[in-house]
Formats: sequence, structure tokens, C-alpha cells
Amino acid sequence: MTELTIALAGNPNVGKSVIFNQLTGESQHVGNWPGKTVEKFEGKLNFIGRNIRIVDLPGTYSLSAFSQEEEIAKDFIKKGKPDVVIDIVDAASLEQSLFLTLQLLELDVNVVIALNMIDVAREKGREIDARMLSRLLGVPVVPTIATQGKGIENLMIQSINVAGRKRVKKRFPKDASKRYEYIHRIVKRCQKETAVGPTLTERLDGILLHKYSGYLFLIMVLLLMFFFIFQLGDATSSYIEQVVDYFKQSIPPGISSNALFLFFWRTIVEGVVAGLTVAIPYIIPFYIFLAILEDSGYLPRIAFLTDGLMHRMGLHGKAFIPMFLGYGCSVPACLGCRIMESEDQQFLTAFLATMIPCAARSVIILGVVGAFLGFQWAAGIYLFNILVVFLLGFALSKFIIAKPVGLIMNMPSYKMPNIPSILRRALLQVKQYIFIAFPIIILSTFVINALDFFGLLRYISDFLSPITVGLLGLPSILGITLIVGFLRKELAVVLLAALVGTENFSEVLTPLQMVVFTLVSIFYIPCAATIATLVKEFGWKKAAFVTVFEIAFAIALGTAAYTILPMFGVL
Amino acid sequence: MVLEKKEIEEYLEIMYRKKQKGEKITTTGIADELSVSPASVSEMFKKLEKNGLVRRVPYKGVELTKKGEEVGKSILKKHHLLENFLMLFGLGRRRAHAEACALEHALSKEGERAFERAMESRKNKNAKPLCDLKAGQKGRILYIAGGMGARRRMVELGLLPGTVVKVLRISQYGCPIELLVRGAEIAIGRGMAEKVYVEVVE
Repeated sequence: MTELTIALAGNPNVGKSVIFNQLTGESQHVGNWPGKTVEKFEGKLNFIGRNIRIVDLPGTYSLSAFSQEEEIAKDFIKKGKPDVVIDIVDAASLEQSLFLTLQLLELDVNVVIALNMIDVAREKGREIDARMLSRLLGVPVVPTIATQGKGIENLMIQSINVAGRKRVKKRFPKDASKRYEYIHRIVKRCQKETAVGPTLTERLDGILLHKYSGYLFLIMVLLLMFFFIFQLGDATSSYIEQVVDYFKQSIPPGISSNALFLFFWRTIVEGVVAGLTVAIPYIIPFYIFLAILEDSGYLPRIAFLTDGLMHRMGLHGKAFIPMFLGYGCSVPACLGCRIMESEDQQFLTAFLATMIPCAARSVIILGVVGAFLGFQWAAGIYLFNILVVFLLGFALSKFIIAKPVGLIMNMPSYKMPNIPSILRRALLQVKQYIFIAFPIIILSTFVINALDFFGLLRYISDFLSPITVGLLGLPSILGITLIVGFLRKELAVVLLAALVGTENFSEVLTPLQMVVFTLVSIFYIPCAATIATLVKEFGWKKAAFVTVFEIAFAIALGTAAYTILPMFGVL
Repeated sequence: MVLEKKEIEEYLEIMYRKKQKGEKITTTGIADELSVSPASVSEMFKKLEKNGLVRRVPYKGVELTKKGEEVGKSILKKHHLLENFLMLFGLGRRRAHAEACALEHALSKEGERAFERAMESRKNKNAKPLCDLKAGQKGRILYIAGGMGARRRMVELGLLPGTVVKVLRISQYGCPIELLVRGAEIAIGRGMAEKVYVEVVE
């Protein structure tokens, strides 16, 4: 039996990924489109004896090939020769969706329209005559409610039906305003609109976008997310550690003291364990929360609420999301910058996001300053960090942003998130994270252990002492933690304890030293995995620029803190 | 000879545009833009040089002289004026651009001033930026200032001259604002909303 290829096209936020999930289930995999930083989702499906390959095209509003996403979608339809393109249309805003539909109908390909979210349309008082729409456009139209799985089977039946048929290409008015007039006439003929009271979305927006309650709710959502992620992460992480310890103890002493085994354990196993205990417990819940925010329709509201603030940094509301991801881990934060429209903005957002204290850096803030100087100092450092990032954004945007691109986006209706779809998407993203970060974490562990094994760490700390001792007023030995912090940030505190011989840092470090050490650790350099991500997304030149800038900036900031804070007599 | 004047002006306009963008003026660059062969471009450069409109700079390509720059600048101004005028009265962007390209060479100084006055009075009366509307007000888009990128993204979401939009909500800082456009809700930031000129409709 020959294999059919079906591509899914449609605007962002029309339930495309939900339909993709329903069709492909477990069989999907994610990669990148060749030569592009856009993710490619693909999956397989067996439907009434036919093997079907499903390709999820990036969500776009048109096929004009001005953005990477549009180019990919257009290229795949033209050169990938899919047997059918399913165009997923938002029934609740039909007029807007049909702009892309007309462009698809102008191409030499079979099209089936999924008229999705008819429930939302109904709530808005819009009833669409699918048969009439089908007649006007000359292609099958299948009403669906993807989140409930309604109409999906019919969609596949219709797609298989039209596969292999020869559809006559259509011609529509070239001029954009004529095109919209044409669309308007179509919509008028097949859509009945009745006045209804305020919809659920409108009522919710009255609260969630309100100038006071909206921000209150946003802060609550963010705090709750943090609380759950760190609680959940801590629990999972210590559980995994216990399991590994138990496993290590069960190895016979004859083997466990063997030099070769130790070497293997300390490089490979510890690297993997570090990835498992540090990254995964925090990253999985982070991605799950992100997917919930995305699917529920709240994410654009966050962008709406924070746009004014982000604007001052030369960015717009959408940049809030990757910056916020930075509190979890800088790697997904840098990957998340793809949602920005221009490369300048992607780069600036990533730049700033790497300076947000990730989970590993939070360990330093809480474990050193928080534990020994008190909660208010830790909170102060977080706030100071936000202030610095904001000011830097304000200053850097003048140099980096050539042309500011403003915010313009759809505000979709709120939806009940579809749980299987969320979990699958989160897991796929975690998989991608593992591919980038794990090799680097393992390599870094190897380097640290090798340096330690050959006794080179001392030399490094001596070499760095003009900076650590001279400028920052720290004990020379802390130079090691800064190097290690580059490779694996979360090890900095553990190593600090090992180096100074106690976990009670107040015995060996003055309060001022703790503050300086923490400040430098937060800002001074993104970790190796983050740099690798920056190289991958923006090229090595820009990655090197970020790295050098942040080292210099952190040292300058640390020096300033060391000199200025005692002058005011605070420490 | 008429044809040649038009051609010369077209060249100077493109070069002036490039200069403003800070781009270098090269034979191939101009050839690409006008879809002509590089050979005819260098032919034209020779003519322009003879007339004192451009000068060649070794290793850098070609530069506009003061005289050349003045011609380019005035043509570009006429172009914008005509383009905006035509769009104001409902012509699509592409059509308005093509029309302006043809008309700009025929427009005299007096004609230019007349258009300017017409635009001014038109603007002062009704057109105001989208962000000046209040929540609940409706406006018809007259024209969209600003670059191609912004305009293209607005067109994709259904915002173009002639479209009637309703302001649903204005955020705390004045912008972004939420609009109802062709039955869909869209949020648009301050920078973009400032570029969209509308007239209030009932």
C-alpha cells in the first residue's frame, strides 16, 4: 500500500497541534526543518488500512515567504508534494482564517478544510453552513471540535477521498483589499450571526486584562508556578539522587574502588545523573506549565499585560515568556526566543534571558545569601537582578535593535487545555533539550574531574587570583568555583562547601564576600550548555560577544559591590 | 528624450533611497532592483556622471553628487506624496506604489504643492492615529505609515486601508490595544498603533 502524506496548515492558535496529536498519538517525533531553527513535527497514522504520514507545518497567517515559517510551509507544499493539505480554520474568526485558505487554493494541491472550534463560534453567536462554504470554495469542509476529538475521523475520510484527485487551481483577486472583500462576501453567504451576550472569554478578559486584577492574577499565576516547579523539582531530584546512591552502594567494593570504574562513574554516570537530577525535574514541569498557558490562551494575555514594560527594553510583550523561562533554565529560554519576529529581537531577548538566574543560580542565591544573610537579602538580589536586566535591556536595545518590531497578535478565546496534547508536547520539548544539554553536561563533568584529577584546579585559582582577590576581595580558592560554575553552575555551591571545608559559609566568608560571590555567579557567564545553545541559534560570534560581555559585566559589578557596599556601611 | 528623463529620475530615486538606508550603491544592486542587466546600469552610470549627477569612487562604487541627491530627494518626496494620496482614497498599496512610480516624473513643483495642501487638510480634519481612539469607538483605516514589514504583518491579520476596526480594550499604559477586526480579536502594540491612521465612524 502506498503511503499518503498529509500536511497540516493553518494560522497559529487554531488547534493545529491538538489535531496533530489526535492523529499521530505516540508515533510523533520532532526535529528541525533542514537549515532552519523552526521545529518540524512529524508522525504516522494507520487509518482504515492506509499508512499515512502527517507533517505539521508551522502556523502562519500567509504563504508570502517573508518569514522562515512561511517559507517552510510554502516550500513543503510546493516541493514536498503532500497528497493532501488539511487547512485548519478557526470557525470563530472565519474571515481572518480564509486569507491563508485562498492562498492554499491557489496552489497545485488537494485541500480539505477543517472548520475547527465550531463550539467557540457558536458561543460567539456564529453559525456556519459548512456545506455552503464547501460549495463556494470547491473543496470538502469538515466541522470539527478538536479538543473533544469531534469530526477528526470524518476529516481523515474526506482527506483520503480527495487524495490523488486532480483539483483545478483557483484564481482570486491579487490585491489584498479586493481579496478581503471577496472573503467577506463568502463569509456573508455561509455565516449567520446572532447577537449574544458577552462570551466567557469576554467576561474573563474583563478580569484578567483589567489594569489591577489582571496584574494581580498574573503575579499569582507566576508565583504559583514557581512554587510548584521548585517543590516538585526538589522532591523528584532528591528521590533520583537516593536511587542513584542506593545503586552505587549495591556495587561490590571490589569494583567500586577500581580506578577504571571510578573514572567511568565520575565522568559518564555523574554527568547523566546531574542532567537527570538538576535539569529534568525542573524542566519537565516548566514545559508542562508553559504548554498549559499556551493551550488555555493565557499566554497572549501575558504578552498583552507586559507589553508596556517590555517596550522600554526595545522588545514587546511576547519577549516576557522566554525571559520568564530563564528562571527555569537558560537553554529553553534561548530556544523560546524564536517566538520573536526579528533576529535582533531574538538575540536581545536571549541575551537578557541568560542573565536571569536559572534554577541552578537560584541554588546559589538561596544557599549562600538566603541561608546566611536572610530572606530579605535573597529577595533583594532577585529584585536587583530584575532592575539590572531591565536597565541593560534599555541600554542594549539602542545598539542591538536596528528596527523595533511592534506587537501584533491574535487574542484567541480561552480554551480548556487538552491534557494528552500538553504532555506530549512537553515531552517532545524535553527530548530536544536533552539532545542539546546532555552531551555538554557530560563533557563538562568530564573536564571538571580531569582538572581535579591532574591537580590543575589550584593553578587556575592562582592564575585568577588578581581578579578574585584583587578586584572582588574573595578568597583565592573561589576562583575554582567560578570556572566550575561555567561548566556546571549548580555545582558551584557544592564545590564551595568542599573547598572551604564546611557547609557553614559564615565561618569562612564575610557577609560582603557572600554577596559579591553571589552577584558575580549570577551574572558572570552563561553555562556551557547555554553557550552551545547560543552558538546554535545565533552563531559563534554573537555567542562569544554575550560570553565576553557577561564576564566583564559580572566582574565590574562584583568590584563595584565590593567597593561601594562597605562605604554605605551596609555590610 | 522624455523616456530618458524618466529613467534618470528613477535611477536617482533608487540611489537616494539606498543612501538613506546606508546601503552601498553598486551596479549589481541597482540592476537587481530595476531588473535590468548590469551592463545597462554601468551605461547609465556613465551618462549620469557626464551630467554631474553621480561620481565614481574607486573601490567603492558610485556616489550621488549634491545635484544628483537633490533630484533623487525631490522625486522620492513626490513618490511618497502620491502614494499616500492614492492610498488615502482606497487604492491598494501595491497599486498605489506602481501608480506613484509612473506619476512622480510628470508632477511639477506647483502640482506637488497642490497635493501637499490636499493631504494636509485631509490629515488635519479626520485622520488620527489608532491609539487616540477610546474603548468602544470604531474607526476606518485611512492609511498605514511605516515600513513594509509592519504593513505586511498587519495585512495578514486583516488590517489594511478601508478596514473598519473597533477598539475593545486599551491597556493601562495606553497601548497595547485590543481590536475587533473582521470578527477576530487582535492585540496591537503602541509602535504599530501609532502608524495606523483612522477616521472615526459610527
